[in-house]
Amino acid sequence: MKEKRNIGQMITTVLPFAALVALFFIFIGVVNMKGYRLDMYLKIAFNEGVVLAVVATGAIFIYTLGTFDISLGASTLFSATMGVMTYNKTENLGLMILVIFAVGIICSLFNSVLASVFHIPAFVTTVAMMSVLTAVAAKIITTEGGALGGIRIPSSVLKPFDSMGCKIALLVIFFAVSLFMFRFTKVGRRQKFIGGNPLCAYLTGIRYNKYTIIAFVMAGIGVGLGAFLTLVYTPSVTTTTASSIGMNIFIAIVFGGMPISGGPFSKIYAALVGGFSFMLLNDILEIVIESNAAYGITQIISAVFFLIVVYLTSMNYRTAMLPR
Amino acid sequence: MKQRVTKVLGLLLAGVMTLGMLTACGGKNQDTEGGKDTSSASKETVKVGVLVADVSGEEAQGFRSYYEKYIASNYNVEFTYTDALESAEDEKSAIEKFASQGCKAIISLSGSDRAQQIETCEQYGVYYAVASGVLEDEQFETYKGYEYFVGQVGPSNATEFEAGKAMGEFFKNQGTKTVAIYGAFIPNPMHVYRLAGTIVGLGDTYGGTDDMNGIIGQIFQDQTLDLSKVEGDTEVVAYLQGYGDTTTDELNAAIQKSPEAFLSVGMATTFFTQSLNEAGIAFSDIDSFTQANGDAIENGKLTYLAGKYSSSIGPVFALVMNAVNGNVIRDDEGNAVSISQGYLVATDKATFDEYYVSDNGDSPIYDKATLDSIIGDNVTYADVKALVESK
Amino acid sequence: MSTAGTAKKIVGTFIIPVIVFLILEGLCLSKGEHIITNAKSFDNFIVYVAIVMITTIALSINLNSGRFDFSLGSMAALSAIIGAKISYAIFGGGKGSALCMLLVTIVAGLLLGLISGSIYVLLKIPPIITSLGVTLIYEGVMYTITDGKYLMTEVQNSSMAGFVGTWIYAAIIIVVVLVLTIVLFDHTRFGFDYNALKSGQKVSVNTGIKEVKNALICYTICGGLMGLVGFLNAARNTTINGGQLNFGSIAIMFTAFLPMFIGGYISRYSNEKVGFLLAAVCMSMLNSTFAVFSNEITASVQSIINAVLLVVFLIYLNNEHLLRKIFTK
Repeated sequence: MKEKRNIGQMITTVLPFAALVALFFIFIGVVNMKGYRLDMYLKIAFNEGVVLAVVATGAIFIYTLGTFDISLGASTLFSATMGVMTYNKTENLGLMILVIFAVGIICSLFNSVLASVFHIPAFVTTVAMMSVLTAVAAKIITTEGGALGGIRIPSSVLKPFDSMGCKIALLVIFFAVSLFMFRFTKVGRRQKFIGGNPLCAYLTGIRYNKYTIIAFVMAGIGVGLGAFLTLVYTPSVTTTTASSIGMNIFIAIVFGGMPISGGPFSKIYAALVGGFSFMLLNDILEIVIESNAAYGITQIISAVFFLIVVYLTSMNYRTAMLPR
Repeated sequence: MKQRVTKVLGLLLAGVMTLGMLTACGGKNQDTEGGKDTSSASKETVKVGVLVADVSGEEAQGFRSYYEKYIASNYNVEFTYTDALESAEDEKSAIEKFASQGCKAIISLSGSDRAQQIETCEQYGVYYAVASGVLEDEQFETYKGYEYFVGQVGPSNATEFEAGKAMGEFFKNQGTKTVAIYGAFIPNPMHVYRLAGTIVGLGDTYGGTDDMNGIIGQIFQDQTLDLSKVEGDTEVVAYLQGYGDTTTDELNAAIQKSPEAFLSVGMATTFFTQSLNEAGIAFSDIDSFTQANGDAIENGKLTYLAGKYSSSIGPVFALVMNAVNGNVIRDDEGNAVSISQGYLVATDKATFDEYYVSDNGDSPIYDKATLDSIIGDNVTYADVKALVESK
Repeated sequence: MSTAGTAKKIVGTFIIPVIVFLILEGLCLSKGEHIITNAKSFDNFIVYVAIVMITTIALSINLNSGRFDFSLGSMAALSAIIGAKISYAIFGGGKGSALCMLLVTIVAGLLLGLISGSIYVLLKIPPIITSLGVTLIYEGVMYTITDGKYLMTEVQNSSMAGFVGTWIYAAIIIVVVLVLTIVLFDHTRFGFDYNALKSGQKVSVNTGIKEVKNALICYTICGGLMGLVGFLNAARNTTINGGQLNFGSIAIMFTAFLPMFIGGYISRYSNEKVGFLLAAVCMSMLNSTFAVFSNEITASVQSIINAVLLVVFLIYLNNEHLLRKIFTK
């Protein structure tokens, strides 16, 4: 029995990485076979994945607690919007960056206050936040952007940051901080405890509110960094900026081998691994299937693949009862 | 236990193999396509990337079939389309993908951030042209000198305004006294300009002005059409925009006010045809020439349709093709080309058929013979401009 | 039961709808209008009540048991597309096509629900995740069938228009759904098991309740209900959008949150399903009021108002005991 458990655990740990590696090589193979430029394609895939990876890594702290936040995409849009507005008013880069992070954290904290102080289920507050933030950002963007349909800062402003080195450095720093907090401080351990068994955690004297707030602050920093990286890539914000991130976070985290219910099996690297896997998968399918009606088919194949991977990685924590 | 591991590995392998097979299939497909093309050309096939935001609209599909079916079979060119691009980030990565696939030029039907598109194309040395909508005047001024920006052919904002104005005038001249207006997706700039034009065409003012810029500025601020600011010859009894849960109620409320006509600046033929036919209210739209719209004009109450036809994106292709072949056409001042394309208007089935039936299939309005007159090493700005303006 | 108890129940049941009516009608009157202006708007009103009520019931069936289901919207749209295609192939939009589409759509919905449930019980992974996958798959199928276009010809005919041209059919649907779900969930073996599983999964499974079977039935019912919603939406909007990729279809479930919680509150005084009906009536009144004020309140403001209402109502619900303490001091 114990042996079985160990092997199961090994699979859940190794599989997401194996999937990432396999996808990576298939990606290289496909790109080469088509005769496309690999160096550029790698850069593209990285750029596509990095914002998702950053925001989702922050989100892991929330998911670990056994709750989730569907508004993170909208928060990213909103903080990018406020950042652009700030720059256009003050022409101060430092202030813009400050505002981006402050807004990200405030949005996230507001969610946590509603959740922990007013005892509203987080999934409902975040659904509400999602519509409010999207609506407010859209209002600002369309009123300010006028006939341009979007707002933007001069592309030279963030040009210095638009290099692979800089982006990788930001990703590594943020991931290192998250890893440290998650693995080597009591924050991560206690959050897993709360996620696994809130009542038990409460009885041992762990303060739920404190760790909820920490989790949402981390997610807020992730949102801020995500918004910043979005602006580095394209210095403009439209009503649809970051729109796909909200739901993709779910997929990234689960793809990375973490149970959606959080708790003791939570893994800080899940978002990083899953986020890039998912982007690579989509890129592969996009390259391979070229046809008009293919959008639907691509989505079906990617969803089936997603379910298979999740099925395999979840073997370890499967229960006799149906999971909820 | 051992069995389980094998099972898992087996599944994983199966997954990887399926993907591998798919890749293989994709490769083969390309080979066969490549084989088919060799007959027509000694030169290398020109790869052109197309950025699209809308993949499902009838107009978008008409454009697509013109490029992929007609143009691709008559010229040595291969079109690659993007997925539906949702944001400026999507657009940029799509351009980068095209560049790494070896595309020589990019035609854009997606408008999240045109400035970004031009800058990215410039960065990668890929020719770029706009086929749907145009840049804001100020933006065009900024980018018109860019080396790889070929130009834009399509309804300018002023043309959108004129299209709305012509529609308004049509009903005003018919003696219509009361109308309802559908503003489609305000604050989408295209719809804002058309709406402003419609107001002016009806002989009305908005907030006391009938100046284009004066009106659009207000509409962007209001994010809607404030009926209390509309004054003049024709009474606007109801206004609605967007599409959602309340739309049915709003449409019903508009119909209850018994307007003599229902003017739409876009999409009404998709959403409201049946309801308006049943209510017996004459309606108009700025949309495209499609089968369904033909039915509505013949059997329904659609009385005025302004639209583009599928091959109207032909001249842009010509510009791009010339650029790739080394003849980058510039306007008289040496800048990127900007030619405005008007809308065609049908008020009866006969005119409609002229634009729809004749533009379908093997003999589009911009057919090979016509396009050949503006593709070549000696073609000039004047030639292209003259041809576009003649259509 | 004492008369005071009964009175309390009646008051508790109807207080929210009445208050909502008074406030909204007051708002409309200030503009010289009513929530319901004429017979046509009454028809629309009832159809919308049916749509909201059925969506809410479908959402609550699984959510009450802790099963989050993102696929509701995609089931509604896909089943309606299947129904429209098949009925159009048979009747060509002629007489009887609405009835045919209704039936086919419900069957398609039941089937889609069953498939979704089967994926869940077979894979045994959390429902929120399977529902993500299922949503993407259904959206993909939808897109493939329709080429991503709006479906118009198939649903635009007098038969369909007639269906939503009167409030009677919608009212019949409301009554039938109410009766069926009340009987099913409160008076059958399945219902007892469902309720047991809802409140104590582990204990129930240990006492021998077959959870898998129960879950499958739940998903199937859910699918059938969403099929109904898909049909009503198609008839009401006269189009079905086939091009909803990348979770474009999930918004429908968010709109059902507020009526679900309102219904949950009302259910303290009466049956839960009746609570959903009354909540749907409230939502429909709100919707009609938005329509009256459409020129002042844009779509984005509407979504903000909806979100704020949801949060405020939940703050009240979850802190009722505190509020009561403050006011009884």
